[in-house]
Amino acid sequence: MATNGNGDISQDSVEEKPKSRKPKDTKFKQQKLPAWQPILTANTVLPALFAIGIAFIPLGVALLVTSNNIKELVYDYTHCNSSTTSGTCAEFFQNTSQTGETCTCVVTLTLDEDFTGSVYMYYGLTNFYQNHRRYVRSRDDNQLHGDVISYSDLNDDCDPYKTVSDNGTTMGIAPCGAIANSLFNDTFALVYQGSPNEAVGLLNTGIAWVSDKNVKFGNPSDWQKSTYTKPPNWKIPVWNLSLTEESNNGYKNEDLIVWMRTSALPTFRKLYRRINHNGTTFSNGLPKGDYQVTISYHYPVTAFEGTKSIILTTTSWLGGKNPFLGIAYLVVGSLCIVLGVVFLVIHLKWGKRAGIV
Amino acid sequence: MAEGQDKTDLSVRVPDNERSGTSVDRLDLAASATTAPPAISPSLNTATSVTAVNLGQVESARTRSGLIHADDNSLRPVATHVVPNVSHPVDAIPLIEEEMILPNPLVKYEYRPMEDGQGSEAPEPHHQSQQVIYINAPERNHSEINITCTSKYNFLTFLPKFLFEQFRKYANIFFLFISLIQQIPNVSPTGRYTTAFPLLLILMVSALKEIIEDFKRHRADDEINNRKAHVHRGDKWVTVKWVDVVAGDLVKICNGGFFPADLILLSSSEPQAMCYVETSNLDGETNLKLRQGHRVTKDLLRGEELASLRGMVECEAPNRHLYEFVGNIHLEGQSAVPLGPNQLLLRGAMLRNTGWVFGIVVYTGLHTKLMLNSTSTPLKRSNVEKLTNTQILLLFVLLVVLSLVCAVANSVWSGRHAHNDWYLFFDVEAESNFGLTLLTFIILYNNLIPISLQVTLEVVKFIQAIFINWDLDMYYAPTDTAAMARTSNLNEELGQIEYIFSDKTGTLTQNIMDFRKCSIAGICYGNNEESKDAFNDPTMMYNLHSQHVTADTIREFMVLLAVCHTVVPEIHHDTGEIVYLSSSPDEAALVQAARQLGFVFTTRTPETVEIEVFGKKEVYEILNVIEFSSDRKRMSVVVRCPDGKIKLYVKGADSVVYERLEETQLYSDITLQHLEEFASLGLRTLCIAKVDIPEDVYEEWKHTYYKASTSIHDREKKIEEAAELIERNLVLLGATAIEDKLQDGVPETILKLSMADIKLWVLTGDKQETAINIGYSCQLLTQNMELIILNERSLDETREALVKRKADFGDALGKVNDVGLIIDGEALRHALSCDCRKDFLDIALSCKSVICCRVSPLQKAEIVDLVKNAQKAITLAIGDGANDVGMIQAAHVGVGISGLEGLQAAHSSDYAIGQFRFLQKLLLVHGAWSYSRLSKLILYSFYKNICLYVIEFWFQIVNGFSGQILFERWSISLYNVIFTVAPPLAMGLFDRFCSAETMMKNPALYKDSQKGRLFNVKVFWVWIGNSIIHSILLFWMPMLMLTQDVAFSSGLVGDYLFLGNFVYTYVVVTVCLKAGLETNAWTWLTHLAIWGSIVSWFLFLVVYSNVYPLVRLSPEMVGMDRYMLGCWLFWLGLLLIPSACLLRDFSWKVFKGTYFKSTRQRVQEVELAKKESVINGSPRKKSSSKNHGLDKPSQSKQRCSGSGLPRSECNMHAYTEPPRLHGTSHSHSSHVHKGCNHAPSPEIPHGYAFSQEEFGAVPQAEYIRAYDTNKDKPEGL
Repeated sequence: MATNGNGDISQDSVEEKPKSRKPKDTKFKQQKLPAWQPILTANTVLPALFAIGIAFIPLGVALLVTSNNIKELVYDYTHCNSSTTSGTCAEFFQNTSQTGETCTCVVTLTLDEDFTGSVYMYYGLTNFYQNHRRYVRSRDDNQLHGDVISYSDLNDDCDPYKTVSDNGTTMGIAPCGAIANSLFNDTFALVYQGSPNEAVGLLNTGIAWVSDKNVKFGNPSDWQKSTYTKPPNWKIPVWNLSLTEESNNGYKNEDLIVWMRTSALPTFRKLYRRINHNGTTFSNGLPKGDYQVTISYHYPVTAFEGTKSIILTTTSWLGGKNPFLGIAYLVVGSLCIVLGVVFLVIHLKWGKRAGIV
Repeated sequence: MAEGQDKTDLSVRVPDNERSGTSVDRLDLAASATTAPPAISPSLNTATSVTAVNLGQVESARTRSGLIHADDNSLRPVATHVVPNVSHPVDAIPLIEEEMILPNPLVKYEYRPMEDGQGSEAPEPHHQSQQVIYINAPERNHSEINITCTSKYNFLTFLPKFLFEQFRKYANIFFLFISLIQQIPNVSPTGRYTTAFPLLLILMVSALKEIIEDFKRHRADDEINNRKAHVHRGDKWVTVKWVDVVAGDLVKICNGGFFPADLILLSSSEPQAMCYVETSNLDGETNLKLRQGHRVTKDLLRGEELASLRGMVECEAPNRHLYEFVGNIHLEGQSAVPLGPNQLLLRGAMLRNTGWVFGIVVYTGLHTKLMLNSTSTPLKRSNVEKLTNTQILLLFVLLVVLSLVCAVANSVWSGRHAHNDWYLFFDVEAESNFGLTLLTFIILYNNLIPISLQVTLEVVKFIQAIFINWDLDMYYAPTDTAAMARTSNLNEELGQIEYIFSDKTGTLTQNIMDFRKCSIAGICYGNNEESKDAFNDPTMMYNLHSQHVTADTIREFMVLLAVCHTVVPEIHHDTGEIVYLSSSPDEAALVQAARQLGFVFTTRTPETVEIEVFGKKEVYEILNVIEFSSDRKRMSVVVRCPDGKIKLYVKGADSVVYERLEETQLYSDITLQHLEEFASLGLRTLCIAKVDIPEDVYEEWKHTYYKASTSIHDREKKIEEAAELIERNLVLLGATAIEDKLQDGVPETILKLSMADIKLWVLTGDKQETAINIGYSCQLLTQNMELIILNERSLDETREALVKRKADFGDALGKVNDVGLIIDGEALRHALSCDCRKDFLDIALSCKSVICCRVSPLQKAEIVDLVKNAQKAITLAIGDGANDVGMIQAAHVGVGISGLEGLQAAHSSDYAIGQFRFLQKLLLVHGAWSYSRLSKLILYSFYKNICLYVIEFWFQIVNGFSGQILFERWSISLYNVIFTVAPPLAMGLFDRFCSAETMMKNPALYKDSQKGRLFNVKVFWVWIGNSIIHSILLFWMPMLMLTQDVAFSSGLVGDYLFLGNFVYTYVVVTVCLKAGLETNAWTWLTHLAIWGSIVSWFLFLVVYSNVYPLVRLSPEMVGMDRYMLGCWLFWLGLLLIPSACLLRDFSWKVFKGTYFKSTRQRVQEVELAKKESVINGSPRKKSSSKNHGLDKPSQSKQRCSGSGLPRSECNMHAYTEPPRLHGTSHSHSSHVHKGCNHAPSPEIPHGYAFSQEEFGAVPQAEYIRAYDTNKDKPEGL
């Protein structure tokens, strides 16, 4: 080996040529991808600014007009005079022992003009923190979905409205949680003071999101009536909410569903009823005139310095009356025009100089 | 050779072509401190004659010699005079050991702090004092496995190590903490796993990156471990992997091979078992070192002899001292002989200029000195990263403050409402305590600190680094080296460099010496067109062959070049070409030049040098060699010419040669002019002189010299005195000029970098003269630049000089002046001492260029540290050798030159590039880009998170500070993971404000990043402010829009999440468009990222709204898609709100772009207008006018006329300095040369440059005596 080793070794010692480490010449690897390089200077953006301004201002005007065309009537009945007892209903409920009893107000709403088109009836609350964390959490969506679950499996966030103990027997609450427990329970009846007086038909369906009604809320196959009871503030159990309409009963009750969508702000309104426009008198909406509202006043709001109101409104494609969007469009549009003018001046005065390098 | 008749009066004798006599004086030979060893192998002894010199031979030989790295003598002791080893090598071994051990700790240990520190604190484990290795019996030896392991993980250690690393980062701890407190019931407003999940995802991405990087390391390790070594096993030679080499193995290494382990040198192909090694991997010295096997083993030249070799080696326990080794070798049947460092070949070193060596493996694997000396690269963090971390801490404080405010507000609110708000059941269940509420808010706001920032940054930097690796412009084809980012942490730091510290040899220069010009008998050759690239002047040949008056001088000159040197010729077996082996590339270049001109040096025997003059053989007997030393600055040989006359040939620095010239010289003035001219071109010059010595004078001197060289005391001094006796009355023949070839594009790069306001300091181990030369040739120093030279020898002098210089600057101090500072290592040592430090720094920072010469590696690191700490500037160090490792590690960014043999610098660097000039692209393009991209990325990441999470705060105002979130919990936790993750990535990877070419053409653009204009505390908080404004608009506008709840014509109302999803959509859209607004270049990937992110949210919305009740996830989202997308308000808001938010950003950007147009915007516009995009920026003009700190009334022309010195032509392109010979020899003076106003300085030493190994293991004189190139070298097997 010693003799022929030499040749082998010197051959081996020449290292094998590794593959070339030359990088590939691709646009990506060489960071030369074609690129759009917008240059933002006064003269290049001027058209855009004016275009935006010119588009936004009419849009804003249109939105404002739309909003203004919406007829809306808001009536605060927090301190309405009771027709059954002396004083206001608010005072009636100051006496906490009377919580749960009924106080009735009869108020008259006057429409100064015809409310044409679909009219909706809302109740509005203020200073009611439906968006408070401990409130928002306090529900069990599985229960509301109609799952058959034992009360011990209810969401702990429902506490303290998860279970009640009565004489040593513990029962679950259906539906559990603070939201359900504080369900808004005033009711309204609306009568048109025309000739003759005519009750306005109020539809209690179609007021909740279709998806909520069809997907999110459902009734259980078994109400487990032996182990579940109503929430403490309720008068009737959930399975009796609407005995006449099975599809609006139980968790599928739309008043409940609407309430269960907790509002974003402490001042909020919720859809109470749709006006039934079938028939002759109200087919084009609500004619102007007086309307008598009989309010079954149950819901205490003065305790937390809240107010309750009843709202009648028409809607547009934008929903309710709200001039904000129109104004915002006008402001932003005007700003664009102003900026456009400023840039035009800048461009005329200094733009040339900037071009020279 | 037809020499023609002498028509000159020069006393130059035409040498006989035949060697005239054989009167080799034995006594003389002994006197010259060497003994010619007996012939090594009794093989053929015929003189090889080279008959023809063809160009190919010359070329190949030159390339070969050019590879020799030998002029970096930085670590050589200046003042320490080592007793030269004069005895016979065999007897000298104990002496050598002593010599190597004693002086070296002084010089060499100090440059590696780790050695120093370790050595002083804990002595090396000498207690386990020795180790016995049985030769040829690997099974009897205990051997450390010879493995290199740089990888961080293996399968088992990955998880614990990785987690440990990750949770050392504050951000990760924070998010882990958030994930944990989310598990406390009722505390988290966002559910239990909404932080844990993104955190897990992010950790997984990090893990993936770590795995990829470690995999690369594993592969690199395998590459080294699987290298092949030739090992003698079981009576035959086998090729094994390095990892299988064990102690006691006999190995053979061929030329150019690395040693697989620490070896004891047994024998080599060279005489006396000598071999050259290059140790630049280990100690950074690029000159070749000689190692010599012990005499008892030097004859083991054949495989059979090795096969039967039995015995053992005793050696000390492994230690990290590179220059220490103590051992014994016992060969069977012989007594033990001692071994020293001279026999040790270290792993990491490379065999050079030697056919092959045999060695015994002693230390392997972790026990090798290389491994014992390796330190892990320190973890460097970039400036931007540090700033980011500070801002994160501030944001954390903000977060806590915000949470505290909210928690307090919560208590206040609850206190007011608890008794009234019956529906909130405070009467039944009290509010949660303050601590838990605080935790709730901390969870709520935790993403003010962007959870994804860390991982986004890591990913982006990682890919940016890959882009660097992919850059074709930084690919160096000759060595097949692409740039390599070895770390991805510092990409943006590359954009902020203010100081570059550069090594010279191998970095600025190629360490290839080219003979370019010469002046012979007053005539300058090499100025013609043909000589532009290499010396080729037919006039010289014509003058030589015609009967020109100077023909004889030319001949003498060439003979001197061919004879007076220590080069050893090696004839290639196959081709017959001669290859010159030399430790000094200068000498090789001269011998090479002589060969090209027809004076071919062919053979060296112990007593003679044979040359072929135009094919005719001439033999010169070498009588004495008086070695080169840096004090003598010259080398001489005493030869007996073929005609029997004795001559002394000298080559050396002009200053020393001129001093010793005979009174009357014909061409001393004109030669001086030529020297200046050469020097001004940055060439290294040497003066060539000779003297005829009468026989009787020589006889007398010979004895003096012998006595001197054998004296016990002051031998060095006595030899020098003896040399002085004979080196006088010289006759000047001329001068040579060698070009120390710069790397390609060095002057241009330096110019570009200086235009980018980057200051370049050159730190070199080279001599002052060489350093100044290079300074000029690479345009670091310019003709009308004033020079300050500091080479004081004591602390007091240095201090004095510094104070004086500082005073000279006056008001100009602290500004950048057109002044170059050259400081010597010795003076630097004093200048770096505590009390001078500040003065030195003040001066250095006031100079445009700084060159530090003869600095040790430790000093290099010290200087970097000094500037880094005192100046708070970002520094970069670039170098190629292990001597640069210190500064590479000390600087903020270390760049290694890779592709050459010594890779130590590249291995410890952060970025490795093939050429100095690639620094341009690395800094001006990649650095600036990375900086601006990462700045944007970081700012944007904070922006988008704050924008979203401050909205939560606004929401708290309307929900009683209850901690309720506005958005759906999983939507927000996916915010940083899906919906807004792509735009910052696109920004960080593809954004560019102008093309790479434009960046390169306009170095001024670099200043934006250098000065940190794009990311600083102010910019950061402006962004934060902006995002808060956006969050206000983004929350309150939709809220007002939905204030009466009725959002549909069907009268339906929404809920809090309905509003939340409006807001969330607007946030996503705004934030993505903001990314677009901040993006300068939209590639298709950017489009994809921005539009894709928006689309992804809508897709998510649609899918997510429909999963319930199939998947029991977020019932609150049911129907959101249908109702949101079916809501006109939503679409009108989508049009309005993001544009309202961005209108401010947009118009501010437009305003700035029009009114305060910055340089980069101009460049960008010009580039887009496809014009020639070079700006003649006004800032430059301004700064240059500012720079007239020192008065410099004189232009170079004035200086020329005013200097009053002989000059042939004044408008010659590059006059630099007044000549250096007026005045005395070497006074260590320092001067600020203020042009013509001052008298010309007595001495500016420059021009001269020459190097040889000094004080080596084997002295040069002895070394050349060992060679007889007439004899064939042993084959080795």
